[in-house]
Amino acid sequence: MKVFNKKGLSALAAVAILAAACGGSTASTAGKTLTIGISFPLNGASLASAGPARDGALLAIKEASIEGYTLKAKVLDHAKDGAHNPDQAAADMLTFVGQEDVVAVVGPFNSASARAQIPVSSEAGLLQCSPSNTNPTLTKGADGEALRGGRAVNYVRVATTDDLQGPAVAVYAKENGAKKIYILDSTDAYGKGVADAFETQFKADGGTVVGRQGLPTGTTDFSAAATAAKAAGADSIFYGGVTSDGAPLFRNALAQAGIGALPFYGADGIYDGTTEGSYIATAGANAENSYASQAAIENIPGKDDFNVKFKAEYGKDAEGYAFAGYACAQIIVEGIKAAVAGGDVTRETVRAAVVDKGTVFETVLGSVSFDAVGDTTQRIISLYKVEGGAWKFVKEINYGN
Amino acid sequence: MATASVTSSTAGRLLGTVRLPLSIFAFLALALGVLGIDQFVNAMTLGAIYALVALGYTMVYGIIELINFAHGDVFMVGSFVAMFISSSLLGNEGSITNVPLLGVSVLVLFALTIGVMALLGALIERLAYRPLRRAPKLAPLITAIGVSFILQNLIQFFFGPTIVTVPQLVPIEWSIQISGSRVPLLNLFVIASSVILMVALQLFISRTRTGRAMRTTSMDRDASSLMGVNINRTIMITFLIGSGLAGAAGVVHGLYYGNTNYSLGFQSGLKAFTAAVLGGIGNTAGAALGGFLIAFVEVGASAFGYGRWGGAVVFSLLVIFLVFRPTGLLGSHTGDRA
Repeated sequence: MKVFNKKGLSALAAVAILAAACGGSTASTAGKTLTIGISFPLNGASLASAGPARDGALLAIKEASIEGYTLKAKVLDHAKDGAHNPDQAAADMLTFVGQEDVVAVVGPFNSASARAQIPVSSEAGLLQCSPSNTNPTLTKGADGEALRGGRAVNYVRVATTDDLQGPAVAVYAKENGAKKIYILDSTDAYGKGVADAFETQFKADGGTVVGRQGLPTGTTDFSAAATAAKAAGADSIFYGGVTSDGAPLFRNALAQAGIGALPFYGADGIYDGTTEGSYIATAGANAENSYASQAAIENIPGKDDFNVKFKAEYGKDAEGYAFAGYACAQIIVEGIKAAVAGGDVTRETVRAAVVDKGTVFETVLGSVSFDAVGDTTQRIISLYKVEGGAWKFVKEINYGN
Repeated sequence: MATASVTSSTAGRLLGTVRLPLSIFAFLALALGVLGIDQFVNAMTLGAIYALVALGYTMVYGIIELINFAHGDVFMVGSFVAMFISSSLLGNEGSITNVPLLGVSVLVLFALTIGVMALLGALIERLAYRPLRRAPKLAPLITAIGVSFILQNLIQFFFGPTIVTVPQLVPIEWSIQISGSRVPLLNLFVIASSVILMVALQLFISRTRTGRAMRTTSMDRDASSLMGVNINRTIMITFLIGSGLAGAAGVVHGLYYGNTNYSLGFQSGLKAFTAAVLGGIGNTAGAALGGFLIAFVEVGASAFGYGRWGGAVVFSLLVIFLVFRPTGLLGSHTGDRA
């Protein structure tokens, strides 16, 4: 019986690969409908970063076919006035839980929304896969345990965690010759967290922190902080926070204070492409000599093939989290196939198949598997530099399994 | 005996007139000593922008006792109007190094933006506040909050929710040396243009017929009406001027920071409102003082690495003033003092 199932699985996988290779969205043979929920902030300022993740996930779902089932996607948008809204994210998760044919969810994009969603999805035993959440406490230690209420793991992510991102940037800054750093953070969980991790590593490597403070989101005047950095004699700057917290405004203020030539380091919060409102678009020429990281692999094995498919579907290049969104949907589809092969497709069988520690998923990001709390074992931080008005990949640091 | 009392009251009056300038001077000297020249210039520049916005709050409160919560957003719209005029109508992309051309561009930018914003302010008054003139006080207050949301959403609709860049016409590299420190001309330009506008406003209020009508209307609307003051016209002119100043603040904000965004009005508006209260709401000179005071507190906090608590300090100051000196630094009504 087991052998038969395995054969069935590989046969199905072959069919799926064939379908994918043809780029076909051949109407699945009518049967029971299975829905994959997609939960992202998708209007206003959030669309630029979360939109590609949604597009990637939709593409993977469109390509997949599962014998005897019709696979559908349902997208819910939890942004309000352009900002991700954790309350709405939790409400959307309840909607997915209430819809019986939803077997798994791709999302959310932001860690704060994940914090709101995990208790809901965990109680329903509904699998979710985030392409981008990087806050360590969502899964690890007592915090992670409390968030899922002591229940079995139902939340996995393909992005690795911030506790590696801050240190990776610190190591890189040190290599670039940074000795005296001035640190500014956005005072929120992400910005302060990543700045703390950066500071610890930078000090451990013998660097000096000549000044550190926080200015909250909504600050428009960074001139005093820039002047303070200059007065402290900093040779490099680190900003913990995202673009909309004011990273480019701080960069401009540094230029106005006469120290715009200093290297400016950030994490994935400022790695947001070149579209309107992005770090590069807002800081303009001042963005040169800025550095950022991403908690994801840059040297994606099937990148070019994926780009071709993505461009054919959407008429634009795949960027940012498009790959990770695609990978999440791929992993869920594989989970469903395993459940089909097991003869019983329920939320529980799909969840169990995906969180299984032994299973290795071949995704667009490469081989991905999950540890005991649902974090990816692909622990790679990629580092980037602004050159000629665009982010250029510099190198990646692999923290191994 | 009589002579002595006359002498002492003359001395007292003299002391009264010089006390304010003296304490301002002492405060500035202290701030310069503590902060150093770079941060002092930062604070003066930020204060100039807060002061321009605070004037609009205080003028409207002075004349119709309405806390115009939409005023911060009028400032925000002003920054977008300035951005649009500068980049789309005048075709500016970056700084202008040709001095005569720069002068003309900046003047045209100020004139057009102030004009558009003054009209917008008057329009808001006509449509949203005048019909509620006789309604309970809560009604126009809530309408003001509604207007605030409308303005934010309109800007978001037309210009998007992201940070938008604004051409910085005055080159940021231009600077002069003051006792070893590099002081950008841009900062001096922002401070100077705000001070010129504030002085012009004071002269207008104290020297012109319309200014007198504004003062009498704020003292007693019915009596002014009986004396032949056209109340509707006077209130509309107050909105024209207040919004025009917010437009000017929008221009200098864009020139100084090089960017704007649709949610700018909320934070800045709250700070400017606090400035108006600190100075004594209804009092134009007080609003300007309050704006500078808040800027010094914020910049001071950030200069010493306590930027995290800057907002808390500013609003604690607001609470302390409301509890211990509710009439603010200079007292409530310009009208009563005139």
